[in-house]
Amino acid sequence: MRTMLSRVMAAVAAVGLVASVPQARAADPIKIVALYNLSAGGLASIDGPSLNGAKLKAKEINDAGGLLGGRMIEITAIDTKNDLKEAATGAKRAVSMAGLVAGIGHSDTTFALASAPLFQAQGIPFVTSGATAPELPDMVGDQMFMACFGDDVQAHAMAEYAYNTLGVHTVVMWTDNAMDYTKGLSKFFQDRFTQLGGKVLLNDVYMTEDKDFSALVSRLKANADAQAVFASSGPDTAGIIIKQIREAGINLPILGGDGYDTDLISTVPGPDLSNNVYFTTHAYVGLDTGPANVFRTGYQKAYGGPPENAFAALGYDAMGLVADAIKRAGSTDHTAVTKALAETSGYEAVTGNIAFKNGSHVPSKPVAVMYVDHGKVNLKTTVTPKS
Amino acid sequence: MTGAYILEQIVNGIILGSMYALIAIGFSLIYGIVRLINFAHGDIVTIGSFTMLASAVALNLPFPLAILVVLAVGGATGMLIERIAFRPMRGAPQVTGFIASLAVAIMIENLGIMTLTAQPRNFIVPAYLSKFIAMGPLSVRAIDLAIVILSVLLMAALVMFVRFTRTGMAMRATAENYNVARLMGINIDRTIAVAFAIGSALAAIAGLMWGSKYSQISPLMGLIPGLKAFVAAVIGGVGSISGAMLGGYVLGLAEVLLVGLLPPEYSGYRNVFVFAVLIVILLVMPNGLLGRSTEERA
Amino acid sequence: MASGSKLLAFLVAALVGAVLVYGASATLDAYLLSIIAFVGINVILAVSLNITNGFTGLFSLGHPAFMTIGGYVTAIMSLEPKRKPFLLPDLPAWLATSHLPFLLALITGGLAATLVALVVGFPVLRLRGHYLAVATLGLIFIVQGLAVNLDGYTRGALGLNGLPELTNLWWVYGWMLLTLYVCWKLKHSSLGRTMLAIRENELAAACLGVRITRTRIFSFALGAFFAGVAGGLWAHLVTLITPSSFSFLFAFQLVVMVVLGGSGSITGAALVGALLTIATEALHPVEEAMGFFGASQLLMALAVLLVLVFRPKGLFGMAEPDLLAWIGKLPGRQPTRSGSKRQREV
Repeated sequence: MRTMLSRVMAAVAAVGLVASVPQARAADPIKIVALYNLSAGGLASIDGPSLNGAKLKAKEINDAGGLLGGRMIEITAIDTKNDLKEAATGAKRAVSMAGLVAGIGHSDTTFALASAPLFQAQGIPFVTSGATAPELPDMVGDQMFMACFGDDVQAHAMAEYAYNTLGVHTVVMWTDNAMDYTKGLSKFFQDRFTQLGGKVLLNDVYMTEDKDFSALVSRLKANADAQAVFASSGPDTAGIIIKQIREAGINLPILGGDGYDTDLISTVPGPDLSNNVYFTTHAYVGLDTGPANVFRTGYQKAYGGPPENAFAALGYDAMGLVADAIKRAGSTDHTAVTKALAETSGYEAVTGNIAFKNGSHVPSKPVAVMYVDHGKVNLKTTVTPKS
Repeated sequence: MTGAYILEQIVNGIILGSMYALIAIGFSLIYGIVRLINFAHGDIVTIGSFTMLASAVALNLPFPLAILVVLAVGGATGMLIERIAFRPMRGAPQVTGFIASLAVAIMIENLGIMTLTAQPRNFIVPAYLSKFIAMGPLSVRAIDLAIVILSVLLMAALVMFVRFTRTGMAMRATAENYNVARLMGINIDRTIAVAFAIGSALAAIAGLMWGSKYSQISPLMGLIPGLKAFVAAVIGGVGSISGAMLGGYVLGLAEVLLVGLLPPEYSGYRNVFVFAVLIVILLVMPNGLLGRSTEERA
Repeated sequence: MASGSKLLAFLVAALVGAVLVYGASATLDAYLLSIIAFVGINVILAVSLNITNGFTGLFSLGHPAFMTIGGYVTAIMSLEPKRKPFLLPDLPAWLATSHLPFLLALITGGLAATLVALVVGFPVLRLRGHYLAVATLGLIFIVQGLAVNLDGYTRGALGLNGLPELTNLWWVYGWMLLTLYVCWKLKHSSLGRTMLAIRENELAAACLGVRITRTRIFSFALGAFFAGVAGGLWAHLVTLITPSSFSFLFAFQLVVMVVLGGSGSITGAALVGALLTIATEALHPVEEAMGFFGASQLLMALAVLLVLVFRPKGLFGMAEPDLLAWIGKLPGRQPTRSGSKRQREV
């Protein structure tokens, strides 16, 4: 009993010790929290690069002398472990940090909805780098900003590209029913595609953890009239879907959204099968602007390789948006930063100009249509939404 | 719905079932002897596929040779886990072993995340395995054919081993009655180690198959196949090797056919169907398809 | 010890706890408060799972399923009626217009979970050991699959977000006390001893006239009730609930709490539930500082393994160590051998 007691007490003491480890002190740093799924799930393949991008931007700003007269940006990365409870408690931990200025993070709508409302409740601005549901700011509130375009924009761009440019008039649609992002993307695509006069022959659904798509592939084969497949998928399944469709000998164009922007879509099926795939993503590849070039060389230098995907650029932009707002606000006061964020106009981001117009917190940004040929991802065209 | 379509679904079910069966055998083999549900078994699948990746890509071994490496590494890992985690608590209540295996599973997964990152990576197979082979109205990929054939061969070898070798007999005797077997002079430690080695080697091979078929592997990939194989073992009757094989095929076929034959709106209900079928089977046959109705040993 | 002084001790402890809750609510920040609330919720879950798994010896993994049911029902009940038609178009009119206060919503959530437990329990509880474990595991997947696919009732994968933050430390504390009290009473009642009898030897219990099926279903349903309530508390603490909020991995964590504490020991389940929750959370900043994501889980698993190797029956076995007496002895002499033995026999 006695030894057990001492063991328990040692454990308690260890916990207490760990909990009271003092935070590193710097001369009044500007604290930013980045919430990303780093240690689990396919989202890690886009969240990891996002965090790298954000850190790179912060480092660049710090190297150039920081903000507000020499204050350094300090990013605390919180791993949300592909678990919504971790996202919510991580956000609570973040908003309880003394002197937190803003939060950034997440590449998936469901996760953004778990953490952003907690920032909203404390009146702290939150900029998502890659959660693309256009309704997000309406659902969360006035502290919520997006650094990326909405799914409506990319899905409409893909529908128009497919119908007008590729001449696809009939599609089969696959949707991951376990993700909000994929469901929204499919809905927006179907709306615009049918509006244009296209026809959806079949709506098939699956779950993120599915690995075997043989039944769906067979059904796709049975729809001989289909001219393309719109497979609304996150990074977990995109590569597997392409592989299994191609292995069945189906060579129809496969269409998708920015969830395809991971190297898994070319490495998993291999160069022979990763063919005739079109997907939309955040423009930066085709942009030969100043920021895009600075970003590309900086990333190469910092991480020893080119940016994995557009989400690295989005993380960089999310951090940049916040820094820009702090600079314009001239302080780290939450209200001032939020106000400055809302007034952002013409911020030259890597992924295109960002402006929050008419009270909207979703920027209107160009969409890149990418084409995969023998495992090589190439820019096909860049579509700039009208409005 | 044409005949060829249904045939295609059946073939797909058999391929998936072969992999479930290989993993399920390990569950049953180990449970039969030490009454332990080894939840770390799914992670051997992960280890198998990463071993394959390492030996085929990094060391550039030819594919058949790499398979032997996978077998060896899988078996050795199984024995190691048994030695470190399970032997010290032999004789403890069943649930203790179960929790211990969970702890081992979590440790393997997080070691994987820490050393390899959680990001899924691609798995490379030689080109000849991606070729198509025409079989009547169907065209099957070489890898799919290889999976089925290799599984059947391995299972046949296992059955022969258990039935005709001295070690196999020792295993059966230990499964029948642990204490009597020990009194008869059977080396229990060795028998258990062999059971772990065989079960784990088969799971590692299943991992290699899983990786080759779906081409995407990650440190957490073993979780779902492990869980499904556990279900398969239970359907067949935990402890019965032939039951595990049967259960694997039943589960694989049920999973593919339910999704394939029902209208597409119901594809999302895949897991609901699988587990509903499982519960129904258990209610009709509370000891699984081939399990014996023995009172549980404490 | 006489039951009167036991009750007194319980009341004193409850009062001390209330003072602590008051102090914590007044001084701590939102993050620490939510961690304490999670500790309380996990204690409710571990202790209630102990009724099913510890007392009656049913190996159930079904708690996450009941939490999901309880969480959704509580959320639907407490949601403002004007938001419902927009979020959940398929709700029948009587549900769409109903709006219950939090306490009633929680109880409704708990009762919904109980109802499902009763319906599922009748056939499933005939199964034994691992077969039951797999069947209840299946229940998690079935509930999860239905929650994802029945969009009009649950809002699908997106789940219900933006729920009011109704759960505070007082709610959690109140329900925790109730759970502990009910379990304590149960363990020391004739019904509780019946459960233990079933766990130890079902055949013998049946011969003595114990109604096995009824007792099993009762313990399953009672566990489900508290799980449902805990699901409701969880949803209104995190302010959202989705089909994947409570996965089968969570079931494993709960089983770990029960087994590590000692199957059947209320104190053990509660203590280990609290310790594991705190330790996991406390390790996060370390993990982030070192950039070693995954290390916290690894350490926890290692700790679990070590406890199992050195104390295969869990920390407390079946016993309820007298914590108050224990704490009293702390500064004093080491307890004698016979003293500690007596405690074990409570």
